[in-house]
Amino acid sequence: MPSDTNSKIGKSLLIVGRLALAVIFLAASYAKLKPQAPVPWSMGSMRVSLSMFAMQVDSYQLLPPSLVSPAAHFLPPFELFLGLWLLSGILLRGSALITSLLLAVFFGVMVRSYFLGLEINCGCFGPGERLGPMTLLRDGSLLALALAVTIGAFLIHRRSAVAGATEATSLV
Amino acid sequence: MNLRNHSKRWVLSAALAIPALASIPAAHAQTATASAKVHTKPAASETLPPPMKTFGVKSAPITMEVFSDYQCPACRAFFQGTLRPMINDYVASGKVYLVHRDFPLPMHPYSLDAARWANAAARIGRFESVDAALFDSQTSWTKDGSMEKYVEAALGAADFKRVQKLVQGCLTQTVAVKPAAQTTHSCELDPFIEQDRNLGNQVPVQSTPTIVITYKGQRYPPMSGIFTWPIMKQYLDSLLSQ
Repeated sequence: MPSDTNSKIGKSLLIVGRLALAVIFLAASYAKLKPQAPVPWSMGSMRVSLSMFAMQVDSYQLLPPSLVSPAAHFLPPFELFLGLWLLSGILLRGSALITSLLLAVFFGVMVRSYFLGLEINCGCFGPGERLGPMTLLRDGSLLALALAVTIGAFLIHRRSAVAGATEATSLV
Repeated sequence: MNLRNHSKRWVLSAALAIPALASIPAAHAQTATASAKVHTKPAASETLPPPMKTFGVKSAPITMEVFSDYQCPACRAFFQGTLRPMINDYVASGKVYLVHRDFPLPMHPYSLDAARWANAAARIGRFESVDAALFDSQTSWTKDGSMEKYVEAALGAADFKRVQKLVQGCLTQTVAVKPAAQTTHSCELDPFIEQDRNLGNQVPVQSTPTIVITYKGQRYPPMSGIFTWPIMKQYLDSLLSQ
């Protein structure tokens, strides 16, 4: 039946979207935490990497120095957590919504910085990537994907709830 | 009789040959002098070393190269807000060796001249004063390129005259920066600026200021933008603690 087929397609797209977001967030977290020079992984190398990321957050000139460091040390592990959460598929509405909110904040900050003329690195996937039209396009697309996954997750949940209620009524 | 005539001939030949032979070293010396005159640079250039645009000791564990443009407002903010406290603290205590690299951008018409003044000052060991003066007075000279008076104020009359001689014939103020391939080095200072620019293109530097840090022989990725001193200090401390 067509509605079953559409539902199957919708669920498949949702899985693909969810997994794509998961991979992206895991990659982003890895890029920020990994050693930024050819040195072995260690607590020291991660401290350096997080300090470098703090410099990139600082270059956005949005937060005072007292908040830059906590934000920079919180974000990469949170991206790791979010990536694993999306991968698991557990409570998808929640993970997708938080992902969308986070990406919306990132995108908004990037747009602001770009139009202020700040010549800085994006910091999205580690150092060295300049903030520009391509990074804005990429992150804008990620935001669109996250929103689609969020909407899809809520719609599918609602349809399941309606289908469940209908079934319960028919049994009665 | 024939023998006497023969002897006379030998004596005459010797009398003619000896002065001729004696003149050869003199002629050679003249030629060498002439050559030397053609190829020797004026005495002042011979004795001056290449410009040293550095702060601190080379043996410091961290080397920080800063690619900078004297007419760039972000570079000024970075110098005043971050580099200056770093020089007074981490450079002074031997933790950081700071290297200034010129990277004049094409959209800044006076940045090349500013770099020339700084390089000229560096050749007489007065880079630090002129570097600070150019950044501190940037908002004043950026409109019309009139940076001479600020350089003079930083150097004093005697050193300013020496530096002025070095930039003689170099200053453009109206000519845009030529691409590297087309630049003709009629100015003695330009090769040093070009060297920095080539290093920057290898990084690659895409905007200014850009910093490149080397620690224990490992080069870390370049970073562009303005970083506040407290955050940069944390980064330097994290490197030093490794």
